[in-house]
Amino acid sequence: MLKYFAKRIVLGLVTIWFIASATFFGMHAVPGDPLAGDKAMTAQIRANLEAKYGLDQPLGTQYLIYLGNIAQGDFGISFTQENRRVNDIIREHFPISATLGILAIVFAGLGGVLWGALTALYRNRWPDVVIMFLVILGISVPSFVVAAISQWSLVGLNLATGTAVLPIGGWGTVWHMLVPALVLGLSTMAYLTRLMRSSMLEVVSTDYIRTAKAKGLPATQIFSRHQLRNAILPVVTVLGPAIAGITTGGFVVEIVFAIPGLGRYFVQAIQQLDYTVIMGTTVFYGAFLVFMVILVDLVYGFIDPRVRVEK
Amino acid sequence: MSEPILQVANLHVDFQTYGGVVQAVRGVSFDVCAGQTLAIVGESGCGKSVTVQSLMGLIPMPPGRIHQGSAHLRGHDILASKIIDGQDIRGSQISMIFQDPMTSLNPTMNIGSQIAETLEVHKGYSKSDAFARAIELLDMSKIPEAAKRAKQYPFEFSGGMLQRAMIAMAIACEPAILVADEPTTALDVTIQAQILDLLGDLQQETGMAIILITHDLGVVARMADEVMVMYAGEVVERGGVDDIFYRSGHPYTQGLRLAMPTNNQDTEANQTLVAIDGSPPDLFNPPRGCAYHPRCPYAMQVCAEQAPPTRTLGADHQAQCWLHHEMAGALPDGLVSASKVGQ
Repeated sequence: MLKYFAKRIVLGLVTIWFIASATFFGMHAVPGDPLAGDKAMTAQIRANLEAKYGLDQPLGTQYLIYLGNIAQGDFGISFTQENRRVNDIIREHFPISATLGILAIVFAGLGGVLWGALTALYRNRWPDVVIMFLVILGISVPSFVVAAISQWSLVGLNLATGTAVLPIGGWGTVWHMLVPALVLGLSTMAYLTRLMRSSMLEVVSTDYIRTAKAKGLPATQIFSRHQLRNAILPVVTVLGPAIAGITTGGFVVEIVFAIPGLGRYFVQAIQQLDYTVIMGTTVFYGAFLVFMVILVDLVYGFIDPRVRVEK
Repeated sequence: MSEPILQVANLHVDFQTYGGVVQAVRGVSFDVCAGQTLAIVGESGCGKSVTVQSLMGLIPMPPGRIHQGSAHLRGHDILASKIIDGQDIRGSQISMIFQDPMTSLNPTMNIGSQIAETLEVHKGYSKSDAFARAIELLDMSKIPEAAKRAKQYPFEFSGGMLQRAMIAMAIACEPAILVADEPTTALDVTIQAQILDLLGDLQQETGMAIILITHDLGVVARMADEVMVMYAGEVVERGGVDDIFYRSGHPYTQGLRLAMPTNNQDTEANQTLVAIDGSPPDLFNPPRGCAYHPRCPYAMQVCAEQAPPTRTLGADHQAQCWLHHEMAGALPDGLVSASKVGQ
């Protein structure tokens, strides 16, 4: 088991190296550079700046210097934000995105399993039809629309009641997190609901559920001990990639709800070709996702004994 | 013969499908006595499994429907309710083992807990007592190192071991009846013999009745006291195991017997196997008259027009066939007549 995870971690590091390299060369292949702003500068100033940031070196040398720095956990200094270290940007803003993302995943996971199980139990009856309609809606409507509508509804709600029931934006308390996390998790929840529904329907008609019935177990026990645990396996499998989707896709929701998360820096950096911030945020996100996928595999082993024994 | 513990009378089971109504079981009656083994034989789709699954409440309804008939377990109507004295009869009074042990156990639950579960539900055992008992049951089912095995999961067991575990689970609450739905079909031959021996031994110890569903006549010869031959959802012949093998009174039973390979060195060894011509009947529209008449080598005109009456050929030996009627001519070779059998 330990050996298996040691292997997974080494493979994860290779993945991160690959992400770093691909981002590095991809970024440099884009025309322009961080100094090509609207401020006119003389050739002398430009040369000085290039020397300061190491941009005068050949690409290969820059790459090696960069890898060395990343290996030491140093992402460098931002090009566009005076004297801000990329590490500080991540340290200040990532916890906000992560909190939002984790809350969204919790919503999506719990909701997906609950609604999926419900639709399977009430197959082809009205709860199934209603939920599946909402699921299609949840999958098809983009998150910025849902975000805007829910924010507008919040404004209406606060106006109607005359008090601030929930804040309409910003960050600080748990109340600030609820609606954005729901909005962020919505499409994943919809996807997981569909997955859970089909997996549940498959499990219901398996031989071992027939055995459980033949044993005379009460329906609630068959559901909780035999159906749920087996039906949840595919849902857990896609949770890893789902976390990827939610944490990287969070910036739209962050911007609509004025949440100071990392997503905004991620997008801004690409627009401004802020090399160090692009590299820093991408490699950091990449490492985070790799870690999450490994974590999900670890959890999977606890649920499914067949995975646990693998040496 | 002792008092029957399970009495099934005139059971009819239908399935409503898009293509129409499938009449899977059409008027099946039988009794099961304690300590006896009743074998139900017949080709695939003849209604053997549906019969017992309808008694166990394992048929999905809809599309399934029990539209006629009765089944009484020690006088309680079990078609109306599976609950007797607040307890589900399934797992406690009647338990069941299935054809494919590989898929019949929950893959994410260890074997011991799956056995313990029945004891917790039916006997009110605590978790630890039930698990301890599960280990004893595995031991009774001749699983070596039962204590260690109980903590393992189904994927760590072989097919034969899984069927033993299923048997341990089935006998956990000392049921009056064990239903074995083709228990050895998915296993290889040497394991088959071991499983059958185990079932026989357990029956000796506990005195339970066994309803054995199979299409393997070898298994029937080895295990059964009584045999019921089904065709197209009906019972065509029933009798003691020797009646069925040596004095069969129905052409279908004879056909099954001739289609079975034997290693006898005398007469039959030199004969080629005889297949039954034609294909199983369409249960959307079962044939009029005797359901077997389109395939029967001895079919007469009356067979296509009227359902045959039940003829008693001996003590506890009956067949539904027109050939035994007074007006039918001499019986073909190999079939036994009412007069020849006597008492």
